[in-house]
Amino acid sequence: MESFIAALMNSLALGMLLFLIAIGLNIIFGVLNIINFAHGALYMLGAYITYTVAVLTGVSFWIALFAAPLIVAAIAVVIERVMLHRIYDRPITDSLLLTFALLLIIDETVRWIWGSTIHVVDPPASLSGTVRLLGIQQPVYGLFVIAMGLIVGLGLWGFFSGTRAGRVMRAAAIDRKMSRLVGIDVPLVFTAVFAFGAGIAGFGGAIAAPIRAISPAMGANIIVESFIVVVIGGLGSFPGAFLGALILGAINGFGSRYLPELNLVMPYIGMALVLLLKPQGLMGRTAS
Amino acid sequence: MSRRAGLITALIAVILVALWFLPAWAPYFYIFVAAEILILGLFAAGFNLVFGYTGMLSLGHAAFFGFGAYVTAMLLLHFDTPLAFALIASLAGGGLLALVIGFFCVRLTEVYFTMLTLAFGMMVFSVAQQWRSFTGGSDGITGFAVGSFGLGLDLTLGNPAVYYQLTLVIVTLAGLCLYLITISPFGLILRAMAENPERVAFTGIPVRRYRLYSFVISGAFSGLAGGLFAPFTRVASPETLHWSQSAEPVLMSILGGSATFLGPFIGSAIFVLLETWITSFTDRWMLFLGIVLALMVMYLRRGLLGTALDRLTKRG
Amino acid sequence: MITRITTPLGAAVVGAGLTLGATASAQEPISIGAIYILSGVGSTYGEFAQNGANLAIDEINEDGGVLGRPLEITFEDSQLEAQAAIQAMRKLVYQDGVDVLMGLDSSGVATGVVPVVPEVETPFIITHAATPDATGKLCNEWTYRNSVNIPQNIKGAAIMADESGANSWTTVGPDYAFGHQSWEYFQRYLGELNPDATFSDDPSFPAFGTEDFTPFINTVISNQPDGVFISVWGSDLVNFTRQANDLGFFDEDFEVLMSLGAATEVLSALGEQMPTGITVGTRYWYGAYDNEMNKAFVEAYRERHETPPSYNAQNAYSAVYAYKAAIEKAGEVDKVAIRDALKGMSYQAPMGEVRFREGDNQALVGPTYGVTAEDPDSELRLLDPQRNFAAEDVTPPLSETGCNLGG
Repeated sequence: MESFIAALMNSLALGMLLFLIAIGLNIIFGVLNIINFAHGALYMLGAYITYTVAVLTGVSFWIALFAAPLIVAAIAVVIERVMLHRIYDRPITDSLLLTFALLLIIDETVRWIWGSTIHVVDPPASLSGTVRLLGIQQPVYGLFVIAMGLIVGLGLWGFFSGTRAGRVMRAAAIDRKMSRLVGIDVPLVFTAVFAFGAGIAGFGGAIAAPIRAISPAMGANIIVESFIVVVIGGLGSFPGAFLGALILGAINGFGSRYLPELNLVMPYIGMALVLLLKPQGLMGRTAS
Repeated sequence: MSRRAGLITALIAVILVALWFLPAWAPYFYIFVAAEILILGLFAAGFNLVFGYTGMLSLGHAAFFGFGAYVTAMLLLHFDTPLAFALIASLAGGGLLALVIGFFCVRLTEVYFTMLTLAFGMMVFSVAQQWRSFTGGSDGITGFAVGSFGLGLDLTLGNPAVYYQLTLVIVTLAGLCLYLITISPFGLILRAMAENPERVAFTGIPVRRYRLYSFVISGAFSGLAGGLFAPFTRVASPETLHWSQSAEPVLMSILGGSATFLGPFIGSAIFVLLETWITSFTDRWMLFLGIVLALMVMYLRRGLLGTALDRLTKRG
Repeated sequence: MITRITTPLGAAVVGAGLTLGATASAQEPISIGAIYILSGVGSTYGEFAQNGANLAIDEINEDGGVLGRPLEITFEDSQLEAQAAIQAMRKLVYQDGVDVLMGLDSSGVATGVVPVVPEVETPFIITHAATPDATGKLCNEWTYRNSVNIPQNIKGAAIMADESGANSWTTVGPDYAFGHQSWEYFQRYLGELNPDATFSDDPSFPAFGTEDFTPFINTVISNQPDGVFISVWGSDLVNFTRQANDLGFFDEDFEVLMSLGAATEVLSALGEQMPTGITVGTRYWYGAYDNEMNKAFVEAYRERHETPPSYNAQNAYSAVYAYKAAIEKAGEVDKVAIRDALKGMSYQAPMGEVRFREGDNQALVGPTYGVTAEDPDSELRLLDPQRNFAAEDVTPPLSETGCNLGG
């Protein structure tokens, strides 16, 4: 029972981290019709910026938590203006190719600036150590990750359904021409959406910094996992990203505990099954 | 038109002759570079049957390439199989695996197809990585000897120059087969499907089955390329099955031009030569590759060969 | 701070250029080809090796070179893939015309490269990859290794484990050949030393590059063994240790033994997050050798890179000196002559006198183990007490290696 609860809490923390990455991927896909191969690289940038702000300059982790998404979003504006806006009318596979190129560029640049040694960020004192909860010792930071995932999820839900900016984004996603007719500046919305999705990835990187080794490989590791999440949940679907992240978190959290031999292959089997049985994903719209 | 075709044929013949005598005039190292270009070019051309001709982006083709590599490596290691038979087995193995994976994948289109090929490819990778007793796990299959070729040919395959020339012959023959397929009525149907699957379906052609045929042929040639690759690198490792290996033929097809038959070969040459050249003075090769790729996708989507041919046709 | 890594390297390159200009005269340099992991996961190991090799080359060139000729080195990226490393080796030999080869960071790469070394007919000193096969069943007369291999590394761990008094053991190791082999050797050696030792049939092998070790940590905690043997290394070990800290892993009542926990890159990444009082090992510890060469090496390295040298830096540094000794012994820069000179040769390295054993070409060297302790002068942990294992106590006899190249 204890190990079950431990695995459960771990799955949740892992799932929430994946959610923070997958949600941006899905927002960008939903509005821009782009699959962002470089999304993991943006997450990595968030972690490196957190390291630079929190450790190198000695400012606190809490400031880094705000700085990282903002800086990543600013970089994303440049990326969108220089590169991505040129290919919106192309087949979606072109976006995979262009963002793959972007992934190579960001990965190498990060290695250039920060070197390839491993960096670590200490969690703030208030979030280190463990507390006793549900009968076992829980790492405080794990609970913080879960809380952050839920807060971001709820905040985004409120934003998309309750604010004008959120509704504008959804309108632009549904029909570009119509949006333009009713006076929405579509190119501006697209830039904003890409920066927004990238910013959340940067936030995910900041959240991950105290629990992951910061290295140039962290982006490539997480991007395929994020693809699994959005495919299982449904490409472009907001609740899908949440559900997909929980499922992959559980596959990893329980799988490595109870089925270690199949640990590597299980996420891909899950991904393939969903694609074959319900290609739009568990929460995806059935008509495209 | 026929005059231009004749010109191109003559040009290819000259290049092939020059390549055949490469060991006689080029520095020794370029034998290895040329062999790698030929093998990866065949892989990319096989891949491009699905990508450029049938219009589907697969991110799982490393499964067939790597499977071919493992088949040849294991046959050489455990049974001292003559290379000719090992290569035939790799070709058949790649095709068979593509039949199984393709059976599922061709049900989907566009990005869903891409994601499913990625999932299946990574499944094969995971199996090779974790089934240590059979596949050697992360070490892969190493230490196999490249013995005889078979078919009554007495070749010293351990000599890189001989292995290179053998590779040249096999890749040329395989490339010719692929070319004949692309200009056959079957190949024309594939092209039509890439442009407008609904219209093709309307004429009564079973689109999904044709996609599967294309996928299987593509997998078979990728498997053959893998079979040639293992004795060349002397190892069959899980990396040859990883999605990043699947990305290589994509990049090569884009660089050379996915709408032309020779594009992937040209792309392979550009890729390998650039890599060899750039890594000799900087280890920032990936940054350079990223920038080149981004520029190609944004401005030269038809690739170098494709763009060059466009220019020529416009002028003529 | 951001340029911390690149500046000293740049300075080193400029320095090398200057010294070359000063002493090279008209002599053609002796060329070393080096293959290390220079990109992606683990490229920090390649950087350390570059630091070590460059330092040795600069020292030797300032001193007038070898046989009056300066040394030069060309680095190629193994990309942590056997096929890339083999291509790099062919390039170095056939294109760049190097005289000797060194490098290799991973077992998987080594098992692919070693069988091909005789084809390029160039001496090769492996400086990091630890698979027993490189000087075992795959051994050949062109391939040498000057670094501690898995059996030597793990025999030390088994002795430490035996002396800890713990009987029931489990492991956490990376899920590839290295992790599994480490656990197999650990069971064999500890089983010989302590017949009462028992080994878990539920060992944890997280995939290499795993980001989340929590389930594996929880498994160990819930199994409550007497001791846990950890062969996770590099950035994985950094991740593991930080997550284990969070879960109170090190407060539990079992012995913790990390076969590569004292690697300096791990200690400097973790700083005070590395718990005290656990047993950690490394294949070279900068504070463990009380000789002039080691003192000078550590000082020079610290001056350039502001950090103590890691085992990979020492091994690369040492390999350059091995080639210097071999070339001077051969009296000429000829591949066959250098190969034969290396056979059974002893030379001075920071680790002390190192000898390549005749028969398998494995250097007779041993690991260092110690207990982590606070350092009053630094945030990094030091080893107190520390213990160097003599090569003869940890090196398996030739008959067990599966290699016999003849005496």
